[in-house]
This record gives sequence, C-alpha cells and structure tokens, in this order.
Amino acid sequence: MRRIKFTERGEMPTTTPVNFFESEAILLFVKIAVLIILAFYAIFALMVVRQVDLMSKTLVTKVSPVLKAFSIVHVGVAIGLIVLAWGIL
Amino acid sequence: MFSSYIENPTNCRFEGQDPGEKILLLLRAHPITNLSWIIPVILLFSFPFFVPKIFSLLNIDLFIIPQTFQIVFLIINYLLVLIISFEGFLHWYFNVYIVTEKNIVDVDFHSLLFKNIDVAPLRNIEDTSSSMGGILNSVFHYGNVFIQTAGATKNIDFHSVPRPHFVADFILDEAHKIYGKGRDAYHHPG
Repeated sequence: MRRIKFTERGEMPTTTPVNFFESEAILLFVKIAVLIILAFYAIFALMVVRQVDLMSKTLVTKVSPVLKAFSIVHVGVAIGLIVLAWGIL
Repeated sequence: MFSSYIENPTNCRFEGQDPGEKILLLLRAHPITNLSWIIPVILLFSFPFFVPKIFSLLNIDLFIIPQTFQIVFLIINYLLVLIISFEGFLHWYFNVYIVTEKNIVDVDFHSLLFKNIDVAPLRNIEDTSSSMGGILNSVFHYGNVFIQTAGATKNIDFHSVPRPHFVADFILDEAHKIYGKGRDAYHHPG
C-alpha cells in the first residue's frame, strides 16, 4: 500500500511505501499469532506421540522404537520453538 | 523393512496375534501412492526459494519484514514440511493388511487418533476378486483386492496393494487349505 504525499510547493504528488512492520502494535499482533500457532503445533505434536504409541502397539516392527523416539524429539523441538520465538520476536 | 509386499515377515508382530500364529503376508499400499503427500511436501519445501521472486513481482521489498520474523516464518514452513512428511509416512507404514495362517487382518488408521481393525477368519472367506485400473496402477502393477466373507460379517478390501491378482489367489489358496483341514477334521474313515 502506498500513501500519496503532497508537497507544500504544489509539486507533483509523490508516493512513499507504508511499512506495516514499523508499527509496534502490528509486530505484537504477529508475535502473538505466531506464538498461538506454535502452541497449537506443540499440542498437535503431543497427539502425534500418542498416535505413534498407538500405532506401534498395533504393529510391532524394528522401526517402531525409532519412530517413537522421533515423535518425542519432535515434541521437544516444537516446545523449544515456542521458547525461541518468544525470545527473538 | 519398508517394503509394501513382504512374504513371511520376521521381527514383526501385530495386536491380537495368537502365540504360534504365523504371518504369511504383510501388505501395504504401493509406495507410489505416497506421491499424494510427497508432491505437496516438495512444493512447500521449495516455497521459500520463490518468495523473493514473488515479492519482487508484487513490487514489495522483502526487507520491510524484520529478519527475526523472516526466520520464524521459515521455521514454521519447514515444520509444516516435517509434519506432513511424518504423518504421510506413518499413515503409509502402519496401514497394513496381514494374512496369517488363521485370519486376515486389515489395520486402518483413518485420522490422528482413530483406529479400526477388521479381522476375518480364513475359514469364513468365500470369494476373492482383484481389480487394477488406471495408468499408475498398470505401470507400477498395483490394485485392489476384495475379499468376501460369509454371513453378515464385514467384507475386507485391500487398497492399492502390489500384485493384486496374486494376493487374491494366495488368500483363496490359504482358505482352501483351511477348508481342507476342516474336512479332514470331520472325516471319519471306515
């Protein structure tokens, strides 16, 4: 979006781009939105752990422990990302 | 380990398996069916590489977004790639069809926490049929197997399994063996 800017001397109007990300309120809004998304993702990751557990009990193979471990690490990553996003944003 | 057609699998058990019950055939959908999630994953993976071009086409400067936000958006994008891949793999790997000496087992995980297991005894099998249609099915040789069971019990379908005609024949042969055993059991010579 561009804002039309008129000069005092009556010259041709010029346009300057409006940077939404300069506004503190918008940055805060985006930060909260990102944190909510990541929180939902962490909950989803926890459900995936339960799902993998359920699946591994249904079909026991050599790969099952690896998948379980991966799903648990995935939860750790998801929670770690919330902390990271909280810190850097 | 990641095959979709395994005869006499070792190091593999399933819920409800009786002691001494041997698995004869373990089937999954053909690996090519995974394209339905692999293609979106590739598109999503390559999306960040196209973002600068899209922004330049829209005449928007990418650097108006603070770098920390760019990093977080990139991480969210790759989280999506990770979870779609993982869920796709889990769905493919654990949705299995098992033929044992006694039963046919169809394990389905429809959604995140919904599990459905259909078990039909081999002695209840009346008829099997197989179908294969479409370009991918013909090229990669996979299709569906329909197993009709006796009485009011639910029929079992194997979807997109490799070598469908052979599987249908194999199941019927195993059912015949059971019938043979049954006849012998009630056969009183003399």
